[in-house]
Amino acid sequence: MASVKLTGIKKIYDNKVVAVHDFDLEIKDKEFVVFVGPSGCGKSTTLRMIAGLEEISEGTLEIDGVVVNDLQPKDRDIAMVFQNYALYPHMTVYDNIAFSLRLQKRPEEEIYRKVTNAAEILGITEYLMRKPRALSGGQRQRVAIGRAIVRNAKVFLMDEPLSNLDAKLRNQMRAEIILLRQRIDTTFVYVTHDQTEAMTLGDRIVIMKDGFIQQVGTPQEVFEMPRNIFVAGFIGSPQMNFFEGELRSDANGYNVSVLGKRIALDEQKCELLRRNGVAGLKKVTVGIRPEHLEVDFENGDSSVRGKVRVNEMMGSELHLHVSAQGNDNIVIRTPTVDLSAEHRSSLANGCDISFSFRSKVIQLFDPETEESLLYR
Amino acid sequence: MSEKSITASRRHMGLKAASRVSNTLIHILLTVISVIWLIPFVFILLQSFRVESTWQVGYVVPKTWGFANYINLFDSDFPRWYMNTFIVAVVTAVLQTVIVLCMSYTLSRFRFKGRKLLMRFMMILGMFPGMLTMIILYRVLSDLGMTQANAVPGLILVYIASSGMGYYVSKGFFDTIPKSLDEAARVDGATRFQVLKKIILPLSKPIVIYTILTAFMAPWGDYVFAQYVSMGTSAGKNVAVGMYGWLNKDQIASRYTMFCAGGVLVALPVTILFMCLQKYYVEGVTGGAVKG
Repeated sequence: MASVKLTGIKKIYDNKVVAVHDFDLEIKDKEFVVFVGPSGCGKSTTLRMIAGLEEISEGTLEIDGVVVNDLQPKDRDIAMVFQNYALYPHMTVYDNIAFSLRLQKRPEEEIYRKVTNAAEILGITEYLMRKPRALSGGQRQRVAIGRAIVRNAKVFLMDEPLSNLDAKLRNQMRAEIILLRQRIDTTFVYVTHDQTEAMTLGDRIVIMKDGFIQQVGTPQEVFEMPRNIFVAGFIGSPQMNFFEGELRSDANGYNVSVLGKRIALDEQKCELLRRNGVAGLKKVTVGIRPEHLEVDFENGDSSVRGKVRVNEMMGSELHLHVSAQGNDNIVIRTPTVDLSAEHRSSLANGCDISFSFRSKVIQLFDPETEESLLYR
Repeated sequence: MSEKSITASRRHMGLKAASRVSNTLIHILLTVISVIWLIPFVFILLQSFRVESTWQVGYVVPKTWGFANYINLFDSDFPRWYMNTFIVAVVTAVLQTVIVLCMSYTLSRFRFKGRKLLMRFMMILGMFPGMLTMIILYRVLSDLGMTQANAVPGLILVYIASSGMGYYVSKGFFDTIPKSLDEAARVDGATRFQVLKKIILPLSKPIVIYTILTAFMAPWGDYVFAQYVSMGTSAGKNVAVGMYGWLNKDQIASRYTMFCAGGVLVALPVTILFMCLQKYYVEGVTGGAVKG
C-alpha cells in the first residue's frame, strides 16, 4: 500500500522518439488508476517506467515518498501482471506463484500457506500441480494474478491483463478484478486500451494520446465533461457524434445552430461559456452521444430529417446509422424495450427518420484547438 | 457397402500400400548407409581384441580374442595422454559453456552501445581460420611457460579464449524465449543472474547440452593445436597426438592393435555422452525451431 507520484516523467528513446511527455500524476494510497488510450499513446511505457523495466529519461518517480528512479524492479516492491501472462512454462502453477517468495527465502510453511490462500481466492486450487500449458487462457491469467497477490507488494501494476481473453471471459474477469481489489485493497495502476474496462474499474482514469495526458478524472467526469474532442470521442461506445455548428450569443443567452436547427442552451451551459470568455458568433464542433439523440415518431418542428443507412440490432437496443444534412454517419442509440412492432419496422434500412437533440447534454468544442468550450 | 464407398476404401488401401512400399525402400536405403557407416567402427573394435598378431592381417574376425592390447595400453604413456585430454576437455567444456551462455544472454537481452558492432565484428573474425593465429599463440604460450610438458593449461587457455564468439546458436534460442518472462521474474525480485539461472537455462536445456557437447568434443578430438603446443615432449600430449606417434613406421608393427584399442577407449566417453543426450542434441542443432 503506497502512494505513487510521477513528476515531469519523460521517456525519450535512443532514436530520439519521445514516447511520454511531461507526465504529472499523483496516485493516492489504495487508489485504482487506469491509463487508457489508443495503442502507441505511451500508457504501457509509463507503466513500465513505474515498474522499473524501462528507464526514466527525465523527471522523478516516487513510491511512498521515496525517489525510485534508479532502483531495480526487484527493489521497488511492486507486483505486475502482464498481457501475455508471462508464466514460467517449466514450473508448476504452485512454483510459479511461489517463485517470488522463494527468492525472498521465506520458510516453506509460509509459502505453502500464502500460495494455497491465493489459489483459493482465485479458484485455481485444483490446478496447482499443473504446468501452465495445461491451462486455459482464463486460468493462466488467474495464475498470473495469483503470482502478483502473494507478494503483498506496495503497488499492483496490470498491463492489459484482459486483452488476450475472449469477450465473455473478459467480462467475467473484469468483475473478478473488482472483487479482488476490494479484497486486497492496495494501490492499483491498470493499463488498457478498452474504455469500458477503464470506466468500470477505475477510481480515476488517465486518458492519453501521443504521449500526452489528455484528461485525468473520475469515470463520470471524463464522460460528462470531456476536456477535448479526443476524450469525448474515446470515452463512450458507440462513439460521440460530431457536427459542425455555429454558436451565437445574444441578450437571452447562447444558442447553437446545428443540422439546420437552432437550439437554445440552458442557463448552466451559458454560464460556463460566459466564464470561458466565449462571445459573438463562432464556429464550433457540436458533440452529442448516440443515446442523447431521440427518434421522433411524430414529426415535430424541431426534429431533423434523415435516412436510416444501417440498422444494427444489439438486443436491448438498436444502433441506427443515419445520414442527414450532409452528415453520413450519425449514430443513434435507442432502447428496444418500448418500441412497438410498427415503430420498429419504420426504422429498417433505407427508411426515413426524424430525430431530435437533448440540448442539456450536448458538448461544444473549438474546432481549431479541439478543446471543450464548456470545460470548468 | 455402396459401390462408391468400396472404391473409396480400395483407393485408400492403394495409398496405404504405396506408402508402405516407399517406407520399406527408405528403410532399406538407411540400413545400407548405416552399415557402411558402421564398418570402420566395427573393424576397429574387432582389431582391438585380436591378440595373435600386433600387425595388420588379411582377415577381420580375430582368431584369438583377448584384452592384451588394452592391458598393454597401461604400460605406455597412454593413461597420461588420456588424462591430459580428459582434463582439457572437461575444463574447457565447463568454462566455455559458462562463457558462451553468459555471452548469449547478454547479447540477447541487454541493449548497449556497440552491441551490433560487436556481433558483426565477431562474425567477421570468426570467418578467419583459427590456424592463422597458431604461430603467435605459440609465442604467447611459450612466454607464459605453458607449452610442452605444461601444455594442458596452455591448451585450455587457447580453447576457451575465443569461446564467446560461439554465441550464435544459443543467442538465437534465447531470442525465442519471450522477454516478458525475464521482466516478470525481475519484478518478482530476481537479479539478472537469477533470471538466467532459474528461468532461461531451464527453458534452454537442449541448447545448454548442445553447448556442453560441442565444447567437449572440440578439445577431445583436436590434433593440430595440441601437436603444436606439446611439441617435443610426451608428457604434454593429448591422445590424438600421442597415438598418432604410434603410426610411424618404427612403431606401427608392434602398436597397430594397441592403436585400435586406444581408439575404442577414446570413442567410449563421447559415445556414452551422445547416447544419453542425443535427444537434446538434435533439438539443439535444429535451433530455435523447437521451444524447450
